[in-house]
Amino acid sequence: MLASHHRVGRGVGVLFAMLALALAACGSSSTPSGSTSKSPLLIGVIAPFTGPDAALGPAYFAACLPAARAINNAGGVMGHMVSCQEFDTRGEPADAVPAAQQMVASHSNLMAVVGCTSDEAASVAPILNQAHIPMFCMTGQSEFNRTSFTYFHRLVPPDEFDAFAMVGSALYHFNYKKVALVFGNDIGSQAFVGPAMAALQGLGATVTINQAIALGQPSYRTEVTAMLATHPDVIFTEALGPTDATYMAEVKQLNNGTMLPFMGTSATIDPVWFAAVTGAIGVQTVVDKFTAVDLGVSFSGPGYDEFKTNLDAVASQFPDAPKYSQRGATLHLYDGIMQAALAMDETKSLDTTVYNPVIRDVGNGVAGAVTVNTYAAGVAAINGGQKVRWVGAGGLTNYNQYNNSQQGYILVRYDASGNEITIGTLSQTQTATIIAAGGG
Amino acid sequence: MSLIVAAFGFGLVSMSIIAISAVGFTMQFGITNMINLAYGQVMIASAFAAYAVNNAGVSIWLALPVGAVFGAVFSFLLNRLIYAPFQRKGTNLIGMVIISLAVSLVIANVLLPIVGYYSVSYHQNPGPTYHLGSIALTGVQLAIIAVAVIVMLAIYALLRFSRLGKAMRATAANPTLARNCGIPTARVVDQAWLITGALCGVAGTVAGMNSDSFSVASGSEFLIPIIAASILGGAGSPYGAMIGAVLIGEMTEISAAIISPEYKQVVAFAVLVLVMVLRPQGLLAKRGALAAAG
Repeated sequence: MLASHHRVGRGVGVLFAMLALALAACGSSSTPSGSTSKSPLLIGVIAPFTGPDAALGPAYFAACLPAARAINNAGGVMGHMVSCQEFDTRGEPADAVPAAQQMVASHSNLMAVVGCTSDEAASVAPILNQAHIPMFCMTGQSEFNRTSFTYFHRLVPPDEFDAFAMVGSALYHFNYKKVALVFGNDIGSQAFVGPAMAALQGLGATVTINQAIALGQPSYRTEVTAMLATHPDVIFTEALGPTDATYMAEVKQLNNGTMLPFMGTSATIDPVWFAAVTGAIGVQTVVDKFTAVDLGVSFSGPGYDEFKTNLDAVASQFPDAPKYSQRGATLHLYDGIMQAALAMDETKSLDTTVYNPVIRDVGNGVAGAVTVNTYAAGVAAINGGQKVRWVGAGGLTNYNQYNNSQQGYILVRYDASGNEITIGTLSQTQTATIIAAGGG
Repeated sequence: MSLIVAAFGFGLVSMSIIAISAVGFTMQFGITNMINLAYGQVMIASAFAAYAVNNAGVSIWLALPVGAVFGAVFSFLLNRLIYAPFQRKGTNLIGMVIISLAVSLVIANVLLPIVGYYSVSYHQNPGPTYHLGSIALTGVQLAIIAVAVIVMLAIYALLRFSRLGKAMRATAANPTLARNCGIPTARVVDQAWLITGALCGVAGTVAGMNSDSFSVASGSEFLIPIIAASILGGAGSPYGAMIGAVLIGEMTEISAAIISPEYKQVVAFAVLVLVMVLRPQGLLAKRGALAAAG
């Protein structure tokens, strides 16, 4: 009996050791290297780090680390060092709610939260808003276009604009007329479908098939066969995790080794997506056949250089960080954190109710504000009695009254190394025509 | 019509993979009384073990046995270090299910920092595509079907003709009586974990070969049809799991052709629920190879 208890004890020990290891793995936080007597501040990265959309979380964590480094190297926010911590939602609203509640309840020093994708924004945003925590969300859901959440900020357009940009690129740049829609059946991916269908049909193009595919399935051959039978000119897609890789590999197999042109949303401009799909269909096929729309970011200028320098420097904490140097979401969330930090400096307050309204001012700039591209320059300007406007890695911010900011779109493709190459833009007239056709 | 025929062909591949995995899953339950929800994660861990070998330049067909051995050893250790101690303590079935769920999460989260969140693909040549009417299958897919047939025949031979198989059946039927009759049930259970773990490893590797891309998150997706096939066929019945695999594999593919790909799992599970209502013990529970004689 005693021996049995010992064995149980060993088993429990192993189980708990593994649990501890797992928790350490999924809940890691970066800590500032500098020491200070002032209490540290935390930036929560609430996003999927496991599950089918697990590739999203690291892109946002990669935004937080360089921001924290830049802030800490400039002495912190009024002397308070900043760190980043992951909070895993698994991409499921049911898991996101307890994750958000735990984050809020356990950390009274949250200065801002970034992440909150379409998978969980609808369930997370109310919690953060009620807790008065500024958030920078990567959701494209149109329900946030006129949100009443005053702590909500969005530096990217709604998904319907991604869809419109895809339609515009297909029609005006490539002259495709028959489009197959192949999107994951998750909330985030399905947000593109309605606007894309409306815009395509409104502009006289044909939707040959609309497939909502279950993510993570071992095979989609039946779906691919049905899609190929409709003979589309191009496939529009966003199905994250290994899904697009599996689907496209089967397209190539079942189309006698020839890949159809396929076009992705801005979420497919991602190193994880690139690695998965090139692994399945080959680098050259992706280079030749894949295009995507992306946020109109130039990847240049002093704000971008500052971001890139800090991003490369945090590779010791997160080895994959440098791979996100051209991920629009990473750049924009970095900018959001910087805006929050500078708003705190401007108001000389750690009280979120005080500095939250000023985030918009820092993003848009007020009359007489001086443009800054680095946190250190911003602090220096503020200490000199000036107001600042942040123009960072992602360029200009233009918040509206709902704290939604958006820029134009570009049409891109990958090179063989996974870098983004701009191949086209949409004119103002083209964009307006598509938005009108899509009901946007 | 041609799409349905094509879907039937793809269903042959799906059911082959489900069959290999579901037979291992249901044998674990039948012999060790353990509903191992970590099975899908062990499959993925095995698939990554095979990937490590394959990525080093070894053919995926030579890496397949590595996946099998990894699955066998991993499952054996999982039972010895975690499940068996709890079972000896008298933890009930529901408690063991919760423990296996915890183990599943632990494996997934331990795998993440090791293999990363990237999806990976085996370096393999799918081979030529063979056509039979509307059915089109690659050489790799035909090989996967062949592997499944060989494994099923081997399991049948093991359970029907070998001393170990008879001992397994006796242990499954009544472990106390089997022990009193001189059957070393502890060793039989160890061997059962090794064999079913090997099936798990083979299933994980061929699933990775078939899907062209997989990640840590794929484990939970793999588990769903496995459980469905096992329950549909009759929990603890290897032959039932084979029939369940045929039904689930074909239903998911054909429903994707007829209705919508979005609902292919829904249709499969609707049929499962229907069977559970009409025949709660599953299709072959009373006639399974591991069931008590008579």
